Amino acid sequence: MTPPLSTNSADLVAVSVAGHIVHPGFPGLPAEPYRLASDGTAFLLPTYGGIVYNVSVGDRAFGLAADCIHPGVSIRQSEDTRNRGLNVYACVGNRAKVMTGQAAGTTGIVTGKSGRFSEQVIIHFPKAARARMAVGDQITIRSEGIGMALTDHPSVMLKGIGPELLAALPRRTEAGRIDFGVVATIPAHLVGAGLGLTSEGGSLHLQSTDRRELARHGLDALRLGDIVALADTDSRYNHGFLRGARAIGVVCTTDGPRAGFGPGIAILMTAPAGELGGFEAPGTNIATLLSLEP
Amino acid sequence: MTESLRWNFDDLVEMAVTGQVSQPTMRPNGYLHWPDGRAAILPGMSGIAYNARVGDRAFGWAGDHVEPGVSIAHADEKSDMALHYLTCIGNEAEVMTGLARGARGIVTGEHARLLVDFAPEVLEDLTIGDTVQIRARGRGVRLTDHPELEFKKTSPALAQAYGLRAENGQIICPVAMELPARIMGSGAELNAEYVDQDLMSGDRELMAEAGIDRMRLGDLIAIRDVDHRFGRSYREGWVAICLCIHGDSVMTGHGPGILTLITGPADRLGFAVEPGANIAQTLNIRSIA
Repeated sequence: MTPPLSTNSADLVAVSVAGHIVHPGFPGLPAEPYRLASDGTAFLLPTYGGIVYNVSVGDRAFGLAADCIHPGVSIRQSEDTRNRGLNVYACVGNRAKVMTGQAAGTTGIVTGKSGRFSEQVIIHFPKAARARMAVGDQITIRSEGIGMALTDHPSVMLKGIGPELLAALPRRTEAGRIDFGVVATIPAHLVGAGLGLTSEGGSLHLQSTDRRELARHGLDALRLGDIVALADTDSRYNHGFLRGARAIGVVCTTDGPRAGFGPGIAILMTAPAGELGGFEAPGTNIATLLSLEP
Repeated sequence: MTESLRWNFDDLVEMAVTGQVSQPTMRPNGYLHWPDGRAAILPGMSGIAYNARVGDRAFGWAGDHVEPGVSIAHADEKSDMALHYLTCIGNEAEVMTGLARGARGIVTGEHARLLVDFAPEVLEDLTIGDTVQIRARGRGVRLTDHPELEFKKTSPALAQAYGLRAENGQIICPVAMELPARIMGSGAELNAEYVDQDLMSGDRELMAEAGIDRMRLGDLIAIRDVDHRFGRSYREGWVAICLCIHGDSVMTGHGPGILTLITGPADRLGFAVEPGANIAQTLNIRSIA
């Protein structure tokens, strides 16, 4: 039995943040609706936002006819500073509740966030509840996790992870280092969009243009909700390259055809100099860890 | 026998685009952060940089994203996009208003603004808001016998200045240094026709070990295993030739700005590290020691 992880969770403040279910968007006429794949071909596919009825955390991240789709339900605030508050405060694993419409009262779980150009919070709700929800419904999140620290591992910075998920992650400690179980480790040269952008909210993408390279690193079978490590990645203040640093996150969007993009990852923690490790733990997925209702 | 390279210069359309000399910009609250979170306020983006010029060092300034020369932008968004997408490196610019009217410069970079080099004495007569007009020419440029190579933002002047040579069906471009793909960072989310991708300089020991910290503004840069045709992504067997357009940054995931100029499969596009592969020198802007 693993002893409990020492944290300052007793000191955390739980605050409400809310957003509305967003409508998918496209640029207005006369703009073409197409986006460009990495080989230059134009494509038209569903992308972020909306209620996604048939894709959930636990499903495959690759092979869908989609561009970085969010599983479940995506919310945001229409005004930017409020949306920033929502995106920063919401932590993966936090509880969400539908406050308006026919699904009012239904509870869900925050499973990820998206970054530059979309900036939404991704929430899992049972499929039956999704069928009763409407674009525009208000959802409130009991946000808890910002300011959380690992008492015995001060060099590890936690990012947007709720206390329940942190407690549920498989882990080992060894000589002052803490290791978490991961499905795969992404090498630095396959880390793409999101580099240089904020690590408080948003996402960092595995770049999937080179399929052979993905297969070589066992990354082509990732599932939504998988816990993954990013080698040589320092996500303390923005995301960037640093030998010996590591970030750990959760796959929160599907793959997509654009250059620099691929499955989006919500970063959960990071350390700069070997204080955070990962060990192979196939099947480590938040659908199981958080007992998400199908 | 050297193959003579045939360009489609005669087919290129030349158009005027304009922008105004910009005021420096800063974020609300001003602070930038070092990788360990320490906050800093530093000059860098936009405005007239009096003492940072193409050919100067890219590292070591007490600044962040230092943009050499004069930064210009157009206030109307769509017009500004045309300024971004049509202007090519090496295009000629002319001051149209104010005390420096008639002075000539050369486009040396594209960042949040277009970066234009003028002689130091011209800078003394420029003010924020002065209009600079560029004769944009180079979009669509190609080597007639090498269709696998894609050129971006390459003016005819720059095309000549590259010093390209053909060897066994491969085009070789002289560059000042090579960068590893794994340190290419901020800008991965953008299309490859728009501005640059920063090299990530946060691993300071690596910058020193690999000599990357000796980079100069205006250096030509090669990167292996990246495809920069439609965005910038890792792809084994591809090469990009780029240009250092702005200075280093304190922020994680950032560093000197690397703008895409040529990309193609590695069996068609190669490079050779040669001293002096810097546009300050090759575009005859100034001699660098």
